[in-house]
Amino acid sequence: MAREIVAAIGTGQTEFKRHHSDKTYVELAQSATKTALEDAGLHPDEIEAVVFSMAPTQFAGVNDIDRWAIEHVWGAGKPFMRVHTGGATGGSAFHAGYFHVASGQYRTVLVVGADRVAETPDAQHVLNLIWDKFYEQDFALNTVTMTALAAQRYMHRYGITEEQFARVVVRARHNANGNPFAHLKGDISVEDVMASQRVAYPFKRHDICPRSSGAAAVVLANLETASQKCTSPVFINGVGAIAHSVFMGDRLGFWSDTEFADHDGCILAARHAYRQAGITDPVREFDVAEIYDPFSSFQFPQLESLGFCGRGRAAEISDRGGWDMDGVVAVNPSGGTLCTNPIGVTGLVRHIDAVLQIMGRAGQNQVSRASKAVATAIGGSTQFFTVSVLGSDHVGIGRGA
Amino acid sequence: MSTISSSDSMVIPGEWHVRYNYSVGKVAGRFFEGLKDRKVFATRCSKSGITYLPPRAYCERSFEPCDEWVEAGQEGVIEAATIVTAQFEGLRTPPYAIAYVRLDGVSTALCNFVEREDLSDVPAAAARLKPGVRVRVEFIPEPQGRITDFHYVRQAV
Amino acid sequence: MEVYVLGMATHSPADCIADKRLEEMVFDTARAALDDAHLTRDEIDHVTIAGCDEFDGRSISSMLLSAPAGAYLRDEIKCTDSGLTGLCLGAMRVASEILDIGLVVSWSKSSKAPVEDVMRMRCEPFFTRPIGLNMAISDALFAQAVSAEFGFGNDEPSEAVVRAYQRASQNPRGMQRPVPERSDIESSPFIATPLRRAHCAPLTDGAAVFALASGRWLARRPHIEPLARIAGLGWRTAGYSLGRERLAGMTGFRDAFQDAFGKAGVSGPGQLDVIELDSQTAYHALAFERSLPGANPQALSPSGGPFAQNPYFCAGLVNATEAVLQVSGQAGPVQVQGARRAAAHGMHGFAQQGNVVAIFERP
Repeated sequence: MAREIVAAIGTGQTEFKRHHSDKTYVELAQSATKTALEDAGLHPDEIEAVVFSMAPTQFAGVNDIDRWAIEHVWGAGKPFMRVHTGGATGGSAFHAGYFHVASGQYRTVLVVGADRVAETPDAQHVLNLIWDKFYEQDFALNTVTMTALAAQRYMHRYGITEEQFARVVVRARHNANGNPFAHLKGDISVEDVMASQRVAYPFKRHDICPRSSGAAAVVLANLETASQKCTSPVFINGVGAIAHSVFMGDRLGFWSDTEFADHDGCILAARHAYRQAGITDPVREFDVAEIYDPFSSFQFPQLESLGFCGRGRAAEISDRGGWDMDGVVAVNPSGGTLCTNPIGVTGLVRHIDAVLQIMGRAGQNQVSRASKAVATAIGGSTQFFTVSVLGSDHVGIGRGA
Repeated sequence: MSTISSSDSMVIPGEWHVRYNYSVGKVAGRFFEGLKDRKVFATRCSKSGITYLPPRAYCERSFEPCDEWVEAGQEGVIEAATIVTAQFEGLRTPPYAIAYVRLDGVSTALCNFVEREDLSDVPAAAARLKPGVRVRVEFIPEPQGRITDFHYVRQAV
Repeated sequence: MEVYVLGMATHSPADCIADKRLEEMVFDTARAALDDAHLTRDEIDHVTIAGCDEFDGRSISSMLLSAPAGAYLRDEIKCTDSGLTGLCLGAMRVASEILDIGLVVSWSKSSKAPVEDVMRMRCEPFFTRPIGLNMAISDALFAQAVSAEFGFGNDEPSEAVVRAYQRASQNPRGMQRPVPERSDIESSPFIATPLRRAHCAPLTDGAAVFALASGRWLARRPHIEPLARIAGLGWRTAGYSLGRERLAGMTGFRDAFQDAFGKAGVSGPGQLDVIELDSQTAYHALAFERSLPGANPQALSPSGGPFAQNPYFCAGLVNATEAVLQVSGQAGPVQVQGARRAAAHGMHGFAQQGNVVAIFERP
């Protein structure tokens, strides 16, 4: 149980699309900040600290780009720090904001970030550079091929087909129709996915997320502020994160503690978060899961590791509509990362989509009476995992300042 | 507390070459278009009264959009300046001078090169570019819509 | 704040630590901190990392460095501002009572990266990069601004450098460089006026790791004596755009100290027995001293600060190790007698855009 109870009381997003030519990076961050502050009913002076969410800056092309953004997010002169854990950044930044409040050090925190991914035509080259110069770069590893290896391994272990992955994409794009911020939307069929251009087995073009530009922000507050300012605060009842080994070769086979194709790191992160939040039966207790899925292969192992079903079972539940909006648990009713991936803030968007559900403000995609949600983010070579449990009621009473 | 020691080994060099095309956005876009006309445009917030260079979409103080464009004066005062004498990778061959200048009518300072200075005696030149010294804006013959379309020149020159 | 320092380690500094890869340097330091705290890695529940990809020469460098930092299958998070910022984040994690015992890990292998080019690329591309700011040039603008603001005498910068090297020469944990003559300093070439090369603390490679524990973790282990308690923390990052007020106003520096004072129940600088400042140049040393009214001059940077060792990204965290050594009576030749309360300061960004302060007390 944390020292202080923490809630999300306001959110802001920009539209996500390939490129915003009318705004710079800092103007995007500013736009999301303004929306979030107004949503929270707070003047910038009432924000006591800022956490900036930004992953590699090589796409946007300015080092430590958060430093440039500080005035634009009304953070100049304030306690300010930037968090960066690769693809998990938005989840980690959300956690960092949580710790600012849970520790009793600050009463209100703005968590904000942005990404621009079309400023450079060399994005895949940049992604190649995350690999180890000495051992791995020469093998042309990049995020696509790395994930393809894991997906192929998962398919082999559990007898899952490409068509089953394709159905995840169909569901995601359909859900995104109701999300005004989503980058990709529009109904497609399994056949459309299967016919799309092959990239790295088993992935075709439509199995892979877009690269998105845009910004997102959320305001976190302690219980007293949340009670004063927000009619439906969303409480952060559990946070867990895990870092794994970078060497994929260490994460499979007999000597490994975990199996990387199963997203096993998620089990440990979820365990910590669930323990804090008192979650014992995830599939029954959660109404919504907004999870990190830049590839069609991500949902199944992640849902299993989050305890929603047994190993290798998530695909058949998907086939039967169990993860649809009106299914057993609504998985990514927003469309998820398959439809929107603004890397530096993707994890934050996962959390914001979950927050909106519990606030009852998810519009067309609203899951009926959503009161508990789980949000995840994943970074590196499925190396960093963050899991957060959100709810309309808070667990515990906190100690007070 | 403990300290750990170490003592030579292979080095494998590396370099990154990544190209960029930075979108200027609407607000900076207006500024750069203005430079082509030999004008310096700043944004102003009528609520706080602050005029910004570089131009901003929003006023930090009032939390409102900047609602006016104003033409900045083409003279101003140095807030900070230095003469660079070291050669840095990717930067101009030294010696050269840069200054943050608050143009007349503007609340914040804008950085650019200071030209037409005799830099042969660096300390003497530095003494001539102290905070408070007035400079004017001078445009290049054919402005391109870049910050380097203009530079500062001391009034006395 | 019920957060305690159980153990620490710094890597022995060098101009270039050539015989180890970055992750080996980090592992050695993290391992030494665990040993210093009498902990095994099994016992820790989290790690907080502070690092900069561009200085490390690798995108998402924490992919490679989280395990050497002790984070394998642990809750790990990374901030990018500075090593001392990492201490603040790590302390908040422990103070939250969600996590109890963990490491704060930071490093800086300045010899590996083109530091000034990395800094140059921190310029936004429209207004500042075509003109070209970097660490030295922005420090030169700072130097000019504070000289004018505080009215430094002509001799003060070189005197400050000599004093710093004198203190540093007594510090067995530093590089123990020879103390220069004032004339050497005054004839050293300008980098950008008024900053001369000799005004700047030379960069070194290094790393620093802290082991932090919560009060309730310690309460269950009464036989364990922590080195220090974190009494208060403050950090502030100023605006990105430079100008006279931003350069000479010292607002971020003063506010960060005020925040830490408030949290620690300290009324002012005079109540600190030691203040280890991240004085990257002579001008920083002079401006910081002027901005700490009531500070005892003998309290300022007894370790020599960055002039003793300067792993730039984590120099503030190294200052924190010196501060903890002071309050635990282990600072050796640079010990301030009877020190009970010591502050460590770190800074980051162009012209001290960021200032971070940690106040430690004898437990």
